[in-house]
Amino acid sequence: MPLTLRISLVVGTLLALALVLRRISKRKIRVADAVYWVVSMLVLVLLALFPGVAILVSGWLGFLSPSNFVFVTIIALMLLKLFGLASDVSRLTDKVERLSQEIALMNGDAGEGQGRQGERS
Amino acid sequence: MGATGRGGTPRVIAIVPAYNEQECLARTIGELVSTCPDIDYLVVNDGSSDDTPKICDELRLNHIDLPVNCGLSAAFGAGMRYALEHGYDAAVQFDSDGQHVPSYIPSMVQAMAERDADIVIASRVVAGGSAVGLRGFGAKLITLLIRLTTGQVIGDPTSGMRLYSRSMIERFSRSFDLSPEPDTIAYLIRRGAKVVEVPTVMRDRQGGTSYLRLSSSLSYMARTCLSLLLFQWFR
Repeated sequence: MPLTLRISLVVGTLLALALVLRRISKRKIRVADAVYWVVSMLVLVLLALFPGVAILVSGWLGFLSPSNFVFVTIIALMLLKLFGLASDVSRLTDKVERLSQEIALMNGDAGEGQGRQGERS
Repeated sequence: MGATGRGGTPRVIAIVPAYNEQECLARTIGELVSTCPDIDYLVVNDGSSDDTPKICDELRLNHIDLPVNCGLSAAFGAGMRYALEHGYDAAVQFDSDGQHVPSYIPSMVQAMAERDADIVIASRVVAGGSAVGLRGFGAKLITLLIRLTTGQVIGDPTSGMRLYSRSMIERFSRSFDLSPEPDTIAYLIRRGAKVVEVPTVMRDRQGGTSYLRLSSSLSYMARTCLSLLLFQWFR
């Protein structure tokens, strides 16, 4: 694994970590949601610091170079998060729909009453 | 539901978050009311899909319903806002599954007054008992991390039975991302809150399933440890 790739992995990860911590201090992300990113960064830093792991696993899985294994790891982490986000959005959509219905039904009781009065008079 | 003052004694409310707790809820509240008649309670039905809301209505329990399931943290937060709006002096986090024994609440209230504490934890460790296995190891690890970051020993950080003072009620109602979890306790200690423990005995849950299933306990530990070691310095 080229030294430049290892160095850029570490530098990039540290920059990303600074971003996450900044967001936490600015209250833009919850601790629970920041955990995934820090764990992912840990994985990437470990791959950069111990290239033997990437070389070993590349051999097992038939990657032409350990660098490719690092890229695949990054892509896999992104896809995993992407799917998690898709599932979160799905659940949130459902919750927003149900909350809207709840509010509409609550307000509806009042509106319905007036409508009925109007019809009678 | 009376939020009336009783002379010099603090007005305490038990916040009981309930998600799909049809099996235990009635018994838990019955025991709570008969053991601690001076303490008000609020069941926060966290969008349960079972008969929990029906039980709340039929038994005329003092309760609020979250229209959708939002999780323990949000349910407890709703209870804290209720406590703030109704002017309670202290709020105790109380499980609906029958694990917590209500007869210990008065000793927690007493400890809060005598030792001028902001948070009183009903602790199984102080009482001599301790969780075993993987769960016990997790709790010990959290105790160690809290000791390293705050210098204070919290014997039973994962105890879900905690009494919060008025200032903590305000804090929980207003702050961003405060959940009733061990890492929050450490964060509050670092922010000057006084936390004490009193001995207690807890039972096994009396039925139903827990918020914290085995599948999620790994991510729970990751979240708690990272929060204690890293995030709390930036919050």
